[in-house]
Amino acid sequence: FLFGFFLKCKMANFQPVQLFRGGSVEERGENARMSNFVGAVALTDLMRTTLGPKGMDKILQSMGHNGEITVTNDGATILKSIHVDNAAAKVLVDISKTQDAEVGDGTTSVCVLAGELLREAEKLIEINIHPQTIVEGYNLAASIARKRLEEIAECNGEDAEKFEQDLLNIARTTLSSKIVRNDKDHFSRLCVDAVLRLKGSKNLDAIHIIKKPGGSLKESRLEEGFILEKRIGVGCPKRIENAKVLIANTTMDTDKIKVYGAKVKTDSIQTVAEIEDVEKQRMWTKTQKIVDHGINCFINRQLIYNLPEEYFASKGIMSIEHADFDGIERLALVLGGEIVSTFDHPEQVKLGTCDLIEEDMIGEDKVIRFSGVALGEACTIVLRGATEQLLDEAERSIHDALCVISQTTGERRIVLGGGCSEIECALAVDQAAQKTSGKKALALEAYARALRQIPSIIADNAGYDSAELVSQLRAAHAEGKISMGLDMKDGGIGCMKELGITESFKVKSQVIISASEAAEMILRVDQIFKSAPRQRSQDP
Amino acid sequence: MSDNNDFKSKDKEKEKDIRTSNIVAAKAIADTVRTSLGPKGMDKMIQTSKADKEVIITNDGATILKEMKVVHPTAKMMVELSQAQDVEAGDGTTSVVVIAGSLLSASQQLIAKQIHATMIAESYSLAATKAIEILQESVAVPLDLNDKKSLLKSASTSLNSKVVSQYSSVLAPICVDAVLSIIEKDTGMVDLKNIRIVKKIGDTIDDTSLVNGLIFTQGTAHKAGGPTMVEKAKIGLIQFCLSSPKSNMENSVVLDDYRKMDRFIDQERIYIQKICRQIKRTGCNVLLIQKSILRDAVNDISLKFLADMKILVVTDVERSDIEFIAKTLNCSPCASIETFTKEKLGSAELVMEEQTSGGKIVKVTGVPGTQTVSILCRGSNALMLDECERSVHDALCVIRSLVKCKYVVPGGGAPEIELSLQLANYAKTVGGQASYCIRAFAEALEVIPYTLAENAGLSPIAIVTELRNRHANGEKTAGINVRKGAITDILEENVLQPLLVSKSAISLATEAVCMILKIDDIVTAR
Repeated sequence: FLFGFFLKCKMANFQPVQLFRGGSVEERGENARMSNFVGAVALTDLMRTTLGPKGMDKILQSMGHNGEITVTNDGATILKSIHVDNAAAKVLVDISKTQDAEVGDGTTSVCVLAGELLREAEKLIEINIHPQTIVEGYNLAASIARKRLEEIAECNGEDAEKFEQDLLNIARTTLSSKIVRNDKDHFSRLCVDAVLRLKGSKNLDAIHIIKKPGGSLKESRLEEGFILEKRIGVGCPKRIENAKVLIANTTMDTDKIKVYGAKVKTDSIQTVAEIEDVEKQRMWTKTQKIVDHGINCFINRQLIYNLPEEYFASKGIMSIEHADFDGIERLALVLGGEIVSTFDHPEQVKLGTCDLIEEDMIGEDKVIRFSGVALGEACTIVLRGATEQLLDEAERSIHDALCVISQTTGERRIVLGGGCSEIECALAVDQAAQKTSGKKALALEAYARALRQIPSIIADNAGYDSAELVSQLRAAHAEGKISMGLDMKDGGIGCMKELGITESFKVKSQVIISASEAAEMILRVDQIFKSAPRQRSQDP
Repeated sequence: MSDNNDFKSKDKEKEKDIRTSNIVAAKAIADTVRTSLGPKGMDKMIQTSKADKEVIITNDGATILKEMKVVHPTAKMMVELSQAQDVEAGDGTTSVVVIAGSLLSASQQLIAKQIHATMIAESYSLAATKAIEILQESVAVPLDLNDKKSLLKSASTSLNSKVVSQYSSVLAPICVDAVLSIIEKDTGMVDLKNIRIVKKIGDTIDDTSLVNGLIFTQGTAHKAGGPTMVEKAKIGLIQFCLSSPKSNMENSVVLDDYRKMDRFIDQERIYIQKICRQIKRTGCNVLLIQKSILRDAVNDISLKFLADMKILVVTDVERSDIEFIAKTLNCSPCASIETFTKEKLGSAELVMEEQTSGGKIVKVTGVPGTQTVSILCRGSNALMLDECERSVHDALCVIRSLVKCKYVVPGGGAPEIELSLQLANYAKTVGGQASYCIRAFAEALEVIPYTLAENAGLSPIAIVTELRNRHANGEKTAGINVRKGAITDILEENVLQPLLVSKSAISLATEAVCMILKIDDIVTAR
């Protein structure tokens, strides 16, 4: 009867009463839902081709006049940068962002799954099933799927060797759909090594990624310690052992009085010279205060002018100027120091320490390497590659892999990839549907179908016969071969355990939770208001 | 469901369109630079979009592409590809783009045969790895850094394809000597920043020279009649100013009486005189003064005092050059007069101003630092001079890559043909679609000898087929001798290039191609 109510609403709409300010748009009932479905499904269609090991990349061309381009396969990056003017599509963009923040990977999967859930829901609504019933069914299905996922999850957390192998496999699976897929063994090793250095800490800031065009991806490597892409000041020592580092953010030109138009008036040049002298003295005093900290390396975020630079050099202190915000914060973290702006109390300042600071060369540039740092786990990944876009995308891929691996060091359970866990969950949902009476059962079936779409899309992207492969997979799982999944190398199905295609449990379960929640949220909507755009006096 | 299928097929169509447009754009870029490949390659004239419509004439792939201002996304990637090659190897910036273009057109045919793009990408990178292995094992010739002749040959090969090719006999030894003298003894690293290339219009490229020391193109400040030549120089490098004082706070001197004016002028003189005397007291007789943006680095009064004290003055030294100068002269820069002491002075045998046809230059020779050199480029006009600098840079990079990786390969298209042959054989040992792709890769590499022959006005097909034949008969070093217009043993012709250049050209081109192949959509982003 509710549906009838909607119809009545629509009828009543023929002579609308002006409720809102001009320019506002209101969409109701069926219309609102339609526009939601269309938006979400369109977005999903954009994303689906990037899914899986044979997924494709997108070029994102920026609207700015320099027309910067990004080449990427990362769902979160694509969604973040495209223009979306549809409420439901925006919800999908948001869940993808949440997924990125929460676990770092599975950003495409979550968007695609939510889209498929909505596509299925649309069909159910066509046969007059109330959205709330669908929501209820989906809710139930999601919890069944998660329960099943937990059952099939494995944990090798106790066995260090096996666990490392798990991590490697997870990294490889994550990277296999990315730009670095051709060297995925190299990179998965690299990522796992980097994360294992952290010894359980989840602070990925300690892993610094620097990008240098030139060389090939294979030449990317993991460096112990921290690398800063700056140069050491003139005349300073280029190599310091047992360094005590003061990290500062202070002006090293002059301490200006910050009053607008402050001015001195004199009547002789002598006085001007004296003022200049005093200013110089002040700088010296400041520099001396810094030196009094008993340091042998001084790093400033801002410029260090000639005068203090020379003073530092004469005291045998290495000075590094213009290390940017990011550099300073990381340095403070890895060297275990504090960022200082005043220098009156040397006893209260925590200095950074490291065993060795020296110059090194990467490609054509000289960089400064801090090794044996206080935060022993800190390391730097040096990426090499043919183009800027390639390096950017490689960085994103590495970041994803690092996130997933570090998540897995906490939540050590793993599940099998290659569509294996989706099929198994779908099976569980299907079985539950058979035992459920009422319209909810239809929603459960729809949920299972949506889950099965994931392996189907993976197969489609690889150019294989998805219908054939997915049905084979279903049959295998129904027979109890729960480790079977898609083998996209040979275009058949195979045992995921043998192929080493594993994924983090946390990522998978987060995908199911987020996608279901998003789909439910969008389903519940029956009205959309668009506020009138703010009036601008002049069009930019 | 039928709706759904329609949608999908439309999607596939779009995917194909985008891939085709990507490949076409990238190929267009490759075709543009193609004609500049090789010793008989032609130059490009580029009119820049800057206000003064500056004109650049160049043969350097990286420069052509950088100035072209392309807009298509994949075209941009090709530009960056050549930039990456420039960073990594410094030379072969044209080849890398040409190879990438050829690989892309090969993949277009593979895609038409329904081979999945990721499959092609995978096989290409397999082929590239194998290619590098082949280069290393059966084509490369080890090189001894003491063998100056081979180094010279490599430098000449790089220079021969440039505008300045007729001067390669002059430039090659300069480049070789320059790089060899700056190799860091303990690490074996070469930082090209230790070579300062100084340009000065005038004379011809023939007069380009290597100076073990410093060159300043601005000449000495001799307005006040200071010395222009100093032997056994004690050189001071200062970062403070020799002019009336100025505080960081805004200041103004207010005079309310005309008598005070005299006093003011007097005071200024005394102030500057004091500083100049202090400088003289240290025994300094050559003064290099850093440029200052806040105030005048020197003024007439200080120049006069310095001239009276027989101190040679060079002004307007850039801050970025300070480190280089300090290293060369073994001195440390002084930022204030108080710290200006005897110990901070550098030394040189001779500082002399020379009159050349294009103006005056100051040469500092007989310096204590051994880790730095300067190259003085000469040329009859700015265009020539810029191109000369770029060519010298390329040649320096070539030598540097030889220091990094001590192998050379023959030039003249020989390694590419050899790779093509061996990869074709390798393809036979691999099964399935990969084999097909690797064969396409092998054939695509033939674009280099093909283009070389084409640019030299030879019949490309005849040359390439003969080359293939000779290589199949085991003549691994047979290559195109562009000068004679025939195929000869290229090693005898002294055409050599560093292994690193060929290696990085292949691996970089493959990486870029793989990336372009994997793209199926262009999305407008904010």
